[in-house]
Amino acid sequence: MFDYFANPTRFMRLARVLVAPLSVLSVLLILAGLYYGLLASPPDYQQGDTVRIMYVHVPAAWLASLGYVAMGVCGLFYIVWRHPLADVALRSMAPVGAMFAFLTLVTGALWGKPMWGAWWVWDARLTSMLILLFFYVAVIALANAFDTIERGSRPAAILALVGLINVPIVKFSVDWWNTLHQPASLLRSGGVSIDPAMLTPLLLMLAGMHLFFAFVVILRMQAVLAERRIAALHIRTMAREGGA
Amino acid sequence: MNMLTAQIRRDLALMWAGRGDAAVMLAFFLIIITLFPLAVGPDPMRLQPVALPVIWIAALLASLAGFPRIFADDVRSGWIDQVALSPLPLPLYALSKVITHWLVSALPMLIATPLMAVMLYVDMTRLAPLILALGIGTLALTLLGVLAAALGEGARNSGGLMAILVLPLAVPILIFGTLASSPISSGPVGKDPVGNDPVGYDPAGYDIITPHLLLLMAVTAVLLAIVPVAAAAALAEAEAESS
Repeated sequence: MFDYFANPTRFMRLARVLVAPLSVLSVLLILAGLYYGLLASPPDYQQGDTVRIMYVHVPAAWLASLGYVAMGVCGLFYIVWRHPLADVALRSMAPVGAMFAFLTLVTGALWGKPMWGAWWVWDARLTSMLILLFFYVAVIALANAFDTIERGSRPAAILALVGLINVPIVKFSVDWWNTLHQPASLLRSGGVSIDPAMLTPLLLMLAGMHLFFAFVVILRMQAVLAERRIAALHIRTMAREGGA
Repeated sequence: MNMLTAQIRRDLALMWAGRGDAAVMLAFFLIIITLFPLAVGPDPMRLQPVALPVIWIAALLASLAGFPRIFADDVRSGWIDQVALSPLPLPLYALSKVITHWLVSALPMLIATPLMAVMLYVDMTRLAPLILALGIGTLALTLLGVLAAALGEGARNSGGLMAILVLPLAVPILIFGTLASSPISSGPVGKDPVGNDPVGYDPAGYDIITPHLLLLMAVTAVLLAIVPVAAAAALAEAEAESS
């Protein structure tokens, strides 16, 4: 399956099939999650209605971290096997992941102001998430820093791999340091600590945002591949005209 | 090993020939530190608390200025192609660059640090932990710089790129480094008389080897293991491009 997709044409064929159902399903799940989250779920007994920020904040934070892990894995695949799609995927994931990291910080600030009384605190969880955003920016900058686009692929892959060390720091910062940010409620030893009434919209949003991430990344990959094909065709026609 | 020492001696000779570059970096370090009292104000009560962070930030920024050139001359002159053909493995070549760059850029800064500490009213009994932590921290920074220089070799606008690549990775070095520079903050360590109130500590009575210094050393050790290999992987790409 891994070798099978070394051929971009096969990937394009699969992507064309996947794009429509992914987009529809993700939009439906997000709409359902928003309905349950914003209207049909109870307000928190302490936080009131501000708790509803969670339904965007938590999925965005998940995807920011998970997107980075996926990008790092793509980097590994590109360095070790020179898999052509891994580079395309890495370049496509970086801006999407960066957007989710940014969204996490913005929704976190909006949530922090009413709950903590401050838009920003220099807390381990917040700071490590900010650094994750910087890593995304660095990968994007490095991938596009060279005159020929492909020349940036390997450095960006290496940097994506090196930056993976920050992901466990983001995840476990709430356990390792005494932070203002609350500890994990979903992936924790001892099971989920959220009431089912709030867990349902959260899970809907999580599923919807994950599919949305996959949808946007596949769309971007299609665009990158199409761009490269146009460039290749352009060079071919130039060569033919030059030869004639 | 012989190849490694030959490479280091060659680089040191070249650096000595172009010693103005190292002098510029040292001047940069001194100027950054000079700018802080101008911005914060000359009051010792306000300068003293920020003195150690200021010295660390200055060291970080001044190191950054030298990074884009670590491999540039070797790539341009074709020396790196010769290294690739020689028995010297690329990771060892990257390690040689770490050593020479630290000697040329970080060591002068360390030598200038006592003077800067005096100008920022740092208590003289605190000089030893500062120099020790700064020495190890600059080694870690140099490792990051070699990695970033290898990754960004041949890029447009490599100066700005260096900052984006190095600064996020330098966060743990900065945190542990500044904490290790002021040992008393790491809790009741040192030669406190048993049963005495911590407020009554002799200001000179602290352990230089603090947990933060050990963490800084651990970060440096990890970088020492990863960077030569990662930099060599990136250099192989730059070398294939240039030839």
